[in-house]
Amino acid sequence: MSFRKKLLLLFAATVLLCVAVISASVYSTIRRSFEQANQDRANAVAAQFRSEFQRRGLEVVRKVESVAASETVQHIALDMNRGATDSSDYVSEARALAGQQQLDFLELVDNRGTTLSSAQWQAKFGYPETAIPAAAGPGGAFLKREELADGATLGLFAVRVARVGEQPLYVIGGERLDQGFLSTLDIPAGTSVLLYQNLDAKWNPKSLLDLNGPAAGADKIAPLVARVRDTLQESQGVIHWTSDSADAEVFHAIPLTGPNLSSANQSGANRQLMGVLLVGSSRRPLIELQRQVVSTAMLVGGAGILVAVLASLWFAARVTRPVVSLAEAARRVAAGDLGAKVEVESSDELGELAASFNRMTEDLVQQKDRTLQAERVAAWRELARRLAHELKNPLFPLQVTVENLMRAKQKSPEMFEEVFHEGTATLLAEINNLKTIIGRFSEFSKMPQPQRRPTQVNDVVRSVLRVFHAQLQEKNQISVHTELAEALPEISADPDLLHRALQNLVLNAIDAMPQGGELAIRTGTLGDRVELSVSDTGSGLTQEECGRLFTPYYTTKQHGTGLGLAIVQSVVSDHGGKISVESTKEKGTTFRIELPCEPQPWQTGQT
Amino acid sequence: MRHIAYLFLAAISPARVGTGALARPSRAKLGCCLRPRQLSIRHGLLGAALLTSIIAAAETRPHYGGTLRVMMQSATDALELPANTTPADYWDAARTLSLIGDTLVKLDAQGRPEPALAVAWQSDPSARQWQFTLRRGVKFHDGSAASPAAIAQILGTLHSGWNVRASADSVSIESETPMPSLLAELALPRNLLLKRNGNGFPIGTGAFLVAEWQPGKLLKLAANEESWAGRPFVDAVEIEFGKSLRDQAIALELDKTDVIEAAPQAVGGAQRHSTSSSSSLSLPVELLALVFSANSKAHDPRLREALALAIDRKPIQSVLLKGAGEPAASILPNWMTGYSAVFSAQANPQRARALLADSRQLALNLSYGLSYDPRDPQAQLIAERIALNAREVGITVQVSLSGAEDIRLMRVVLPSPDPATSLTEAARQLGLPQPGFPTTPRGNSLDDLYQAERSLLNGYAVIPLFHLPVASAGSARVRDWEPGRLGEWSEAGLSLADVWLTDRRLADSRPEAGSR
Repeated sequence: MSFRKKLLLLFAATVLLCVAVISASVYSTIRRSFEQANQDRANAVAAQFRSEFQRRGLEVVRKVESVAASETVQHIALDMNRGATDSSDYVSEARALAGQQQLDFLELVDNRGTTLSSAQWQAKFGYPETAIPAAAGPGGAFLKREELADGATLGLFAVRVARVGEQPLYVIGGERLDQGFLSTLDIPAGTSVLLYQNLDAKWNPKSLLDLNGPAAGADKIAPLVARVRDTLQESQGVIHWTSDSADAEVFHAIPLTGPNLSSANQSGANRQLMGVLLVGSSRRPLIELQRQVVSTAMLVGGAGILVAVLASLWFAARVTRPVVSLAEAARRVAAGDLGAKVEVESSDELGELAASFNRMTEDLVQQKDRTLQAERVAAWRELARRLAHELKNPLFPLQVTVENLMRAKQKSPEMFEEVFHEGTATLLAEINNLKTIIGRFSEFSKMPQPQRRPTQVNDVVRSVLRVFHAQLQEKNQISVHTELAEALPEISADPDLLHRALQNLVLNAIDAMPQGGELAIRTGTLGDRVELSVSDTGSGLTQEECGRLFTPYYTTKQHGTGLGLAIVQSVVSDHGGKISVESTKEKGTTFRIELPCEPQPWQTGQT
Repeated sequence: MRHIAYLFLAAISPARVGTGALARPSRAKLGCCLRPRQLSIRHGLLGAALLTSIIAAAETRPHYGGTLRVMMQSATDALELPANTTPADYWDAARTLSLIGDTLVKLDAQGRPEPALAVAWQSDPSARQWQFTLRRGVKFHDGSAASPAAIAQILGTLHSGWNVRASADSVSIESETPMPSLLAELALPRNLLLKRNGNGFPIGTGAFLVAEWQPGKLLKLAANEESWAGRPFVDAVEIEFGKSLRDQAIALELDKTDVIEAAPQAVGGAQRHSTSSSSSLSLPVELLALVFSANSKAHDPRLREALALAIDRKPIQSVLLKGAGEPAASILPNWMTGYSAVFSAQANPQRARALLADSRQLALNLSYGLSYDPRDPQAQLIAERIALNAREVGITVQVSLSGAEDIRLMRVVLPSPDPATSLTEAARQLGLPQPGFPTTPRGNSLDDLYQAERSLLNGYAVIPLFHLPVASAGSARVRDWEPGRLGEWSEAGLSLADVWLTDRRLADSRPEAGSR
């Protein structure tokens, strides 16, 4: 990834992070505020409920006291004290009295706890009302489960006693605690109130009421109510009515308890859960605000990223332009163009870097010139050494022969003729050597350009092996092994130069195996190239020798000129190929030549 | 005392004079031997002299004239007696039509037949052939003679299964099956001998004829001057329909009506102590019962028996019915059969729970719907009480007028003092199979009756609850009327045709005003 892209990403990430942090902070703050507001609303509704509950309780007490003090009830109480046993006249009295006082429930119960008259269930006359004697007294209203013909319900009750004589007459009145009660509450917008009447041992969805009656989706409330039933403590939970989180509500569940009238313990400690008040606050405002925050953050973040991209593009371009120039110059230098310069526009670190680069290239040019100069000198020295070495060898016999001739002329004229003949023969031989040496140098300096034509490498190999057939036959210790690929494609090459190069390699291999061995020649394809390898099992070369092997005039042999492999490399290079050597000491050496099937474009004009 | 006076008057003056304040003999006691047209001036003067001599009884002396005002609950659109109707509608239709028409015979409270249009009758030993000698000279309201042929035609229309033939002065009825209870059957209101005119109004031979008919609202009847039993004392009868019992009671208290129907439990209460009206209860002639519908979920007889045992009838009778009626476990009341005590009406919750424990239906935890007649003011409370009793033993009964009906709280009429006839009629109304009586001549013995009733009650398809009376009340201006013990207003000697009206001032001062 380029520096510019990295810089771009860094800028974008920075902007995004900032937006995310700010959004998260705002989100968190809003959430806390809403939760606090919800809690406050729930508390307010609960307080209002308790206040209404108390007010309605007092109202129930007042109505029941009015009933107990009514003339009708006083008459009935009087009849009871007179020992009247016929209660048939009272059956409808409770309903009439309840209607007068607008009470939902009203029962008249005699001193034995037997129902004389019931407004809510007229047929209940004669049945015992077990809860009454315990609840009777000057106390306030209380919650009580009330059995009706069509099922149980929850009510707010009060008990008063009409005492005319010795035998009391209990008056039990009450009002329903249901959706009608809920409708009297002043419920803030966005708030809902549910009432669960805890009438059954198990969860009953029909007992969950809202302002209109049985609440829909009651089963979603069940776990929250179950917690309250288990703990008798307030609880809180989020109810997701739909898959849209905005439709969710946070519900505060408040237990409503009443005296356990069926228990002997009436101290108040043993209280029974009669209902659960559920105050729900809609999460829609919170969710919508959160969504607004998120969308704004995304908008701002997107715009920020866009601005950041543009700014970073500009900034990165400004920052990286010298770097790019530097990189380009470096690439040119790497490609060999040591004259590449970086334009210095600033005086900052990048400007200093560019200047340093320019100085470095200048130093490199100077260094290269010096190196070339030194190499040239070294080459000339090597050439001179070679020439001196090559020429010194024939010169010494020449000198000795001439001195022998001169000595024979002076000291043994009789043997001069014989010495003369031997001496001239030696001189001619050495002069031929000198000519040969000079011819080789001349030949190396005059390497001809390849005359390309379709060439089958396998044919070249076979031709070379035919040349060396007799020599290899003499040296029986060297066996020849060939692996020539069938259907080897023809290449565009000069078969004579290839023959010469391969001849040198075979000759080197034979020289490397004075004690015999195996000569292996293999051909094959390597992609669009033809591969040719020549292996021997000779003494091998060191790593250093391998590195200097193709240097002209470098030889490891006693009488080599050091031009054989140089010529091979020159031929391979002229054909656009490459040559490599692998050697293991005491195991052998392998030369591997790769030649392109078609001439490279840049080779066509090569001279 | 009044009847003694009537007999005396009849002895000395067998005819009435004009429409004045001349007393006439009781229609029931003297029958067809009196005709207003037969009165002569001489006899009238003699009667007037005699009446003058007994001035002390002048304020109680029957006299003609006036309109008798009657109120009824039903709001019937047709002057007929449907086969299937509620008891209230039955009584209203029967009472109304019996003012217009007559049956061949009547039954007294003991079930003994008395002459009506037929003065004599006889049957063969197998009770398959009956012959009725008709009263002579009787005419329908349209002037046509109530000849044997006309009577035979009406009866043949009413009973297609009978072979009814007319002779010179009699009608014979034949059937392929024995008809031991034919006399009781013929005494039923559905066998009133009525024709229909072009307007569909009934035309009979009774004491009154239809003068005006506003369906569902008002029926005006005029006195039949040609009545074979003698002209009624009152000139007309106006019957207002569609009045609730409460409205009727109020109207009676306000002196806006003369005769009303009353709730039996009310008769035992405030009206009993009223000084301005009189009321009376009939014998128990209705049955209040629980009937399981054909598709009821409560099909296990043990469950049904458990429900029967769960119901505590005494509190219902003492409180809701205010003592009226009798707890019942039999279809027929004890006054008809004398054996109803054999059927125990005692509640037994323990036994009910034990039966329920054996009932597989209990495990299903079903709720059974109990419906009732919403026009019956006591029905809802009684139904709720039954549901409460049932809940005590573990049966869930839901009182409702809608939804699936498993059990129905029904009130049926026991229309005849003849037990076999009432049992047959009750079975028909309750949807039970017709009771099987032996076809041998000894049929209708008490044992046969008991076996027939027992077979109807087996399986608890019906749970009898109470035998209930019907009640009526009359204002102080209505004299010489006492509703029959069988609930009708046309029993022998007790018909509305026999009443006469006095003014209120006299009624208030009469020493015997009050309850009877």
